[in-house]
This record gives sequence, structure tokens and C-alpha cells, in this order.
Amino acid sequence: MNPTAPPPRPRRRRGQRRRPVFAIAVTVVFFVLLYLPIAMVVLFSFNAQKSLTIFKGFSLRWYEAFFHDSVLLGSLGMSLEVSLVAMLGSVVLGVALALGLVRNKGRLGAYAGLIMMVPLITPEIVTGVASLLLFKGLGVTLNSGTVMIAEITFSISYVTVILRSRVAALNPEVEEAAMDLGATRWQALRLVTLPALLPAILASAVLIFALVFDDFVLAYFTTGVDPQPLAVRIYSAIRFGVEPTINAVGTLMLAGSITLIGLALAIPRLFGRRGGLDLISGE
Amino acid sequence: MTPTTAPSAAPEAVPAVRLDHVGKEFNGSHAVHDLCLDIAPGEFFSLLGPSGCGKTTTLRMIGGFADPTEGAVLLSGEDVTSLPPNKRNVNTVFQSYALFDHLSVADNIAFGLKRKGVPKAEIRERVGAMVDLVQLGGMAERKPRTLSGGQRQRVALARALVNRPAVLLLDEPLAALDLKLRRQMQVELKQIQREVGITFVFVTHDQDEALTMSDRVAVMNGGRVEQCGTPEDVYERPESRFVAAFMGTSNLVGGVFRDGAVHLDGGPALPVGPRPGIAEGSAVDVSIRPEKIWLSDFEPGMPVVNGVIRETVYSGPTTTYLIELAPGVTVAALEQNTARARMEDRWAGGETVELAYDPEHALVLSH
Ligand SMILES: Nc1ncnc2c1ncn2[C@@H]1O[C@H](COP(=O)(O)OP(=O)(O)OP(=O)(O)O)[C@@H](O)[C@H]1O
Ligand SMILES: [Mg+2]
Repeated sequence: MNPTAPPPRPRRRRGQRRRPVFAIAVTVVFFVLLYLPIAMVVLFSFNAQKSLTIFKGFSLRWYEAFFHDSVLLGSLGMSLEVSLVAMLGSVVLGVALALGLVRNKGRLGAYAGLIMMVPLITPEIVTGVASLLLFKGLGVTLNSGTVMIAEITFSISYVTVILRSRVAALNPEVEEAAMDLGATRWQALRLVTLPALLPAILASAVLIFALVFDDFVLAYFTTGVDPQPLAVRIYSAIRFGVEPTINAVGTLMLAGSITLIGLALAIPRLFGRRGGLDLISGE
Repeated sequence: MTPTTAPSAAPEAVPAVRLDHVGKEFNGSHAVHDLCLDIAPGEFFSLLGPSGCGKTTTLRMIGGFADPTEGAVLLSGEDVTSLPPNKRNVNTVFQSYALFDHLSVADNIAFGLKRKGVPKAEIRERVGAMVDLVQLGGMAERKPRTLSGGQRQRVALARALVNRPAVLLLDEPLAALDLKLRRQMQVELKQIQREVGITFVFVTHDQDEALTMSDRVAVMNGGRVEQCGTPEDVYERPESRFVAAFMGTSNLVGGVFRDGAVHLDGGPALPVGPRPGIAEGSAVDVSIRPEKIWLSDFEPGMPVVNGVIRETVYSGPTTTYLIELAPGVTVAALEQNTARARMEDRWAGGETVELAYDPEHALVLSH
């Protein structure tokens, strides 16, 4: 600072200008611990050799190996399919639930609102075991269908939590205006209410897709033997020794997830208004 | 209540809107109570009253957004009490405008016509004409969020009017606008109503607005209609203390009616002439509008009372004097500043003045 010029704000409290060295150190350590393993996975997915400890030059051979591995590709296909169906199913049901909860001001609505939160706080392993027991008890064969059902059940709450505040913020007169202009109840919903909720709906859809695609616990308990969702397949593969192919798969999944989450956060901005994942981005 | 003066409609015409002993109860208390109204086709009809008196509730029952708990709603003679809003030939301009934010101005206006399956070419033509009528030319492709308050208000109006409803319901459509824009929109709205000839039911809590725009006004209080008539009726001849007080400034003073005069408590008597409907010796209120009190150039035969100027309020074109007639009994008198152009001509506080009035302008309201 220039010694001849008076300090701009002389009444600043003592110590406020000192750099918080300790806090910075903790932050750095935190991020290193958090991201170093992930960085290693990405790095070694490009390793020219099979070694998982020494980097021996850049190559795409493990990506090539992945795209020739029919079992892993089958798992990828199944995961995409499960995520897509779970996304559609949970968005339809979650939006309907959010509309119902906001508009039912009675006691039933209040109780339903509380029960809706239960899946969010239940440990996922409990949900997984419970789903497995249910399917076994009903004598259902485990396959991609059972995974989809379990994932939908689990995801509805997320959609509803995201949508509920948006629905509550809607001006009820807008839907009335639509009916005033000749729309039926259903047309008013389709032509006015859902478009108004579209940013939030798209954002929650993308989020659910990403969550389900990455999900391991629930998928592990509810999947059949062949094919298995990608996360479960990777876990099984690792038990018989780590192939660098897994690093390539992990890197691809990471890239996909980052893209989706970025998309979910960007959607409200694309629409030029608030209404997406306020809950998550904290806007 | 039946309309006594229904402009632009033969007296025997079927009313555009009839409320037949309509009531609405919310959790045991009545928001609207035993309401009877006939609104003639082509009429500009206002519902006027303080906040919470049931104006919106009444309008919502006509539009079909609220079910009456008693009585019936008739539109052009047809009982529509149990019909949903989309089956009624009325449209609404909501207080919040309730525009569809994801649609352009043109698509907002076209919404109702599309629901009715009007051919595309006709929709384009009618929307275009409506955009011109409400002076939104060049904004048809904009989104409502990019418009100003007055422009949004016009979109809401156009969106309703384009359907050519038999009745247009407007819930305080100008309340959100600033004073200047509001005055301008009042004139425009009235002009548009004359042009399209649609019945307007207009809710407002602004008495000036109701007086300047309406053919008839219903003054509401506590869920009931206190008085219904032309603006002149309700302003010049209020039938209740509430209407007298609500419509503009009014001098309401209490006293006892005896021998053709109202004797103020501990003060002078105000001659009002014979009043057949008022019992001798009964407690009454007298109401005289400030502009009906004369301070000079009296006409022969006018009753004259003495008072002391307590306050002089200059407000541009007019000056208001607060004049004490008796301890605790003060009336306001309004004078055009044309009469007393110069400062030194105005009365000052403490001066004793004579005031006079036409007994016809002194309204006697029994308790
Ligand atoms: N949905 C409702 N549930 C319970 N009470 C209601 C409901 N709607 C209106 N009320 C009550 O009915 C009364 C009349 O309400 P209303 O909205 O018709 O008043 P208003 O004359 O339009 O007032 P403002 O000028 O403030 O808009 C109020 O006391 C209000 O609290
Ligand atoms: Mg209201």
C-alpha cells in the first residue's frame, strides 16, 4: 500500500485483512483429498500400459477396449435405458404429486407432504433391501424392470421437492384465466401450467437421469444377473482385479455426469428466468 | 334492485347479468350476502366498495370461479350457476393480469380464439385488429415480461375482448398503475367499451374512477349492496351514512330533527325543510358536500349559519376551509379559487364567516 496515501477505510477492524492461511490450507487439503483419486482415474485411463501406478505415455487403448467389451456395453445400454425410463416415470409422477400437494390444502395434503419426504431421509441401503424383499416376496424375477421400479420410487421425492416450491409460486389466476378463455381443466394444465413449470421440470429430469445412472446401491439390490447396470458391473469387475478399462468407463461416466449437472444448472438461464434448480444452485 | 336508468337498453330487455339473491359463505361467515343485481346489456357497471367488502367474490361468482352458496347467477336470462368458467360467455381481466408468460403478446390474445377453433386466418385478423384497438402495434411478438405495467394491462384487456364476450368482468384492472397512466387508461377503457358495446362489470375501490367511468354504480359494504344507481344518484343522493361518507368528502354532522331543521348538539340549527320520511325528534345525520356550501354571493332564501374559520387549505384550483359551527362540530367548505383570486381576499384562521346552502343539498340520513 502507498504509505503517503491514507488508508481508504481507516475504521476497518483489526485482523480482517490478514490472509486466512489456515482456512486456505484446509481448503487445499480438502480439494486434494477429494479430487486426487478422481484425477488419477482420469489420468490412468489414458495410460499406454496396463500399470495402474506408473504413467507410460498417452493412449486411447482402454477406451477402445471398452467399446469392444460386449458385457460392459450391454451394461451401459441397460443403465441408459433404466435412467431414461426412471427419469420419465419419476418426472410424470413427481410433477403430478407436486401439483396435488400444493393444491390440496387439507389435512390429507399435509400428511402426504410429510410422507413424501421419507424416501429422502431413508438410508438408500434400507430402501434397497426393502425393495429386494418386496420383489422376492411377490415372486418377481429381478431384471431391468425391477431396477426401474425401484429407481422411480426413489426419485419421485426429488422431483416433487424441486417442483413443489415452483408450483406454489404460480399465480392461481393464470390457470383460471386459461379456463376463462375456454380451456378445460386439462387444457389449462397442459397449455399454461406445465409450460410455466418447464424449466424446473427439465432441470429435475436431467438431475434424475444423472442420479439414477450413477446409482449403485439400489441397482445392486434390485438387478438381475445379466445384464447388470454399469455401476454394478464395474463393482463386480473390480473384485476380480482392476482392469484399466474401468478407468476409461469411469472417466466417461464422470464426463457424462458433469455435462448433465451443468445442463441442469444452465436450463433456467437458457429460459431467461428463474425456475430450475434454485434448491441446488442456491440462487 | 332493478335498474331505474339503464342506458343503451330498453327497459324490458333481458338483463345481461342477473344476480338473484346470491350469497357466498366462507367458513361460516358471509363474504357476499343476499345480493340482487340486474345489469343491462351494454352497460358500464361498477362495483365499488372498501377492501374486503366482497367485490372480487361477486365477480368470481359471475365468472364461474366461485360457486354461490345461495341464489342463482343468470347470464342473458340463462341460469349458469352450475356451469364452469369455460362454458360461460364472459371473460375476465384479472387484477394480476394473469398473462401467459411463455407466450407472445399475439399468442396471449389468440388463446381464447384457438380454444374455440376459430379458423387461423380469422384469428390472425381479429388479433391484429385487437392489437391496434389497444394500441400495442409493434409489440405483438414480445413476451409479456418485457412490457410495462400499462402495456401488460392492455394485453390482458385485449386477450379478453377479442373473444367478444357478452360480458367483460374487470377486477381493479387499473389498481397497479400510477395515477397519470391510470387517468389515461380510464379514458381509453371507457372509449373501448363504447366502441365494442360489451357489458362491463368493473370492480374498483376508487370512487373517482367509479364516478367518471360508470353508467351505474353499486356501492358495496360488508357483502351487501348499500345503494345502486347512476353516479349522480350515489354521489348527490346517498341513501345511507356509509354511502355519503364513502363517496368523496362529506360533512356528516349528527343532531336531532325537529320543525324542519336539524339541531346540532350544543350548536345552531340547520334548516333543511320538511322531510316526510323522518320522524320528529329522531336522531339523524346531516350531510352537505363541501362544494355545496356557499361562503359569499348568497342567493335569496338560503339558510345562513355563522361559523369560525379554523383552517385554510390551499390546493391549487380550490381552497378548503374548515369551519367550526359549534364546539367540536366542524364542516369543510370548498371554494373555487376563481372567486377569490388574490391571497389577501382569502379568509384567515379565527375569522367569523357566514355560510349558506340550498336546503335541497342538505341530506338527512336517519340512523
Ligand atoms: N377463498 C376464501 N376463503 C375464505 N375467505 C375468503 C376467500 N375469498 C375471500 N374471502 C373473504 O371474503 C371477504 C370478501 O373478499 P373479497 O376478495 O371479495 O373482497 P374485495 O371486496 O375484493 O376486497 P379487495 O378490495 O381488498 O380486493 C373477505 O373478508 C375475505 O377475507
Ligand atoms: Mg378484490
